[in-house]
Amino acid sequence: MPTNKSELAPIWRWQITATFALVLLISCVLAVSIGPVHLDFANVVKTLLGRSSNLSDQDRTLLLQIRLPRVALAALVGAALATSGAVYQTVFRNPLADPYLLGAAAGAGLGATLAITGTGRTFTAALPIFAFMGGVLAVLATFLVAGRFFSDPSSLLLSGIAVGSFATAIQTFLQQRNSQVLRPVYSWILGELTVADWQSVKWAAIYIFIALAILIRISKLLDGLMLSDEEAFSLGISPNKIRMIAVGAATLATATAVSVSGLIGFVGIVVPHIIRGITKKATNRALLAISLSGAAFLVLADLGARTLISPAELPIGVITAFIGAPFFLFVLRAKRGGIQ
Amino acid sequence: MINVENLSVNYGEKSVLSAISLEIPAGSWTCIVGPNGAGKTTLLKTLLGMHPYSGSIKVSGVEVFKDMSRNVAFVPQRPEIPMGMTVIEYIALGRAKLDGWGREKRSGRLLIQKTLDETQLVGLQRQLVTQLSGGELQRVLIARAIVQEPEVMLLDEPTSALDLHHQITTLNQVESLKNRGVTIVSTMHDITLSAMYAERIIVMREGKVLLDGPASKVIHSNELKMAFDHGISVHTLDDGHTVIVANKTRNELI
Repeated sequence: MPTNKSELAPIWRWQITATFALVLLISCVLAVSIGPVHLDFANVVKTLLGRSSNLSDQDRTLLLQIRLPRVALAALVGAALATSGAVYQTVFRNPLADPYLLGAAAGAGLGATLAITGTGRTFTAALPIFAFMGGVLAVLATFLVAGRFFSDPSSLLLSGIAVGSFATAIQTFLQQRNSQVLRPVYSWILGELTVADWQSVKWAAIYIFIALAILIRISKLLDGLMLSDEEAFSLGISPNKIRMIAVGAATLATATAVSVSGLIGFVGIVVPHIIRGITKKATNRALLAISLSGAAFLVLADLGARTLISPAELPIGVITAFIGAPFFLFVLRAKRGGIQ
Repeated sequence: MINVENLSVNYGEKSVLSAISLEIPAGSWTCIVGPNGAGKTTLLKTLLGMHPYSGSIKVSGVEVFKDMSRNVAFVPQRPEIPMGMTVIEYIALGRAKLDGWGREKRSGRLLIQKTLDETQLVGLQRQLVTQLSGGELQRVLIARAIVQEPEVMLLDEPTSALDLHHQITTLNQVESLKNRGVTIVSTMHDITLSAMYAERIIVMREGKVLLDGPASKVIHSNELKMAFDHGISVHTLDDGHTVIVANKTRNELI
């Protein structure tokens, strides 16, 4: 009996990826069309394709300068968080690892608080830069505290928790001293995409695309990280090198996402779990699908944030947690039932 | 051929292996025996090239540390079981070094199929690795090592989790690899089985090699008994086979 193709399925099955790409595309068109001002689908599609349409100049501006950058940013952040979550889960062999694991979130939070308290204004252009620097520095500190890089993933996790707590403590102290900034800091912590413009989309896109390209390029090698280090080594990869590249790229994606959108929880955990369930594949064999569906998930969540209590807005982090937490409990319960 | 000269390995201040010199002929089966903590597994992993060491380890004349080009298969005692991976995908990882990760060539696919037959895994190929029994998992691990087409195969306690029947089938599979010219080095607690399959036995204790020689000679040696504090005895059966057992009344004898 010869080995047929389905038994040794290639890592990339284009049908699955194409399906998720289509879902993302539809989500994006829906998201730019729906809102307090409804735009006609056909006209939206025509405008996006660069053809003449019946949209008024005002609606065109709304579509191209307000909604589209916001949807693009949601897609970028969603892809970044879902992919880096999936990669962290593989690297740390922990299904509950999330993109904020190594202190990136707490560091970025501290950076943002410094930006806000330092200038005394509610929002400054420096916030994303400070948040980014804070996130990256916190992750570096986590590595330094852990000492030997990856000899023991659990010591890295523990040092991530310690660094995170330390950064949060300083952040809380700063907030206590500057109570006038409590509100802007908290609204940033809950996540927001309201400040999206093409400039922030451009910068986020550069970093996130670089990070995702690296992660998807090495995703086949991530198979080796699911084995013991000796097995991976005997199969021809240096596991520590792959871990460093993977964690570095995932942290770049996370820090960029946090710096432009604040802390949006649950995407990095829920999306990889759903996609693993749907595709029945190990994380790294579905990484592209996870990126695309993370993007679609956040685009739809942002649509909910904008429209549910329109004309007011909900923080997007509230929406993702509102969907994410019950779903997560459902998955856990189903899994436990499966085991029994 | 594996040449080990004056090999020492330290974990921090602690010396785990000291001044070990060995010659392992190509295409032979060498078993490392000794009490727990003797350094057997460390020696195996050092031969793989994972641990920094002083001294020299040469496989086919090339120093092993950090040399990723050699094709040495490793069968761990306690493997990490990846979630969401099927048996055939897991075995296909063995082709990573020769064909590239996730890029099994036609020759690789044919070898995988042949190996599934040989290791009696046909029918299990779509099952998740997480759902296998201990015996099945061991066969899958051996199958992955076979498709790797290694020049050297290192096995850490390949029979420790298996019942008697599966111990023999596993060791027979390893023996057939040896007959194809693969150099086998394994650690094994069961000295009787070691003597049945291996041509050479290395006796270790406290990070040192007490004796290294032909299996038939080593099992009757005093060094073997010393390694286990004289807590074992060697019996020769009528059919000429040798059985090594632990002495139940050891404490009284001493």
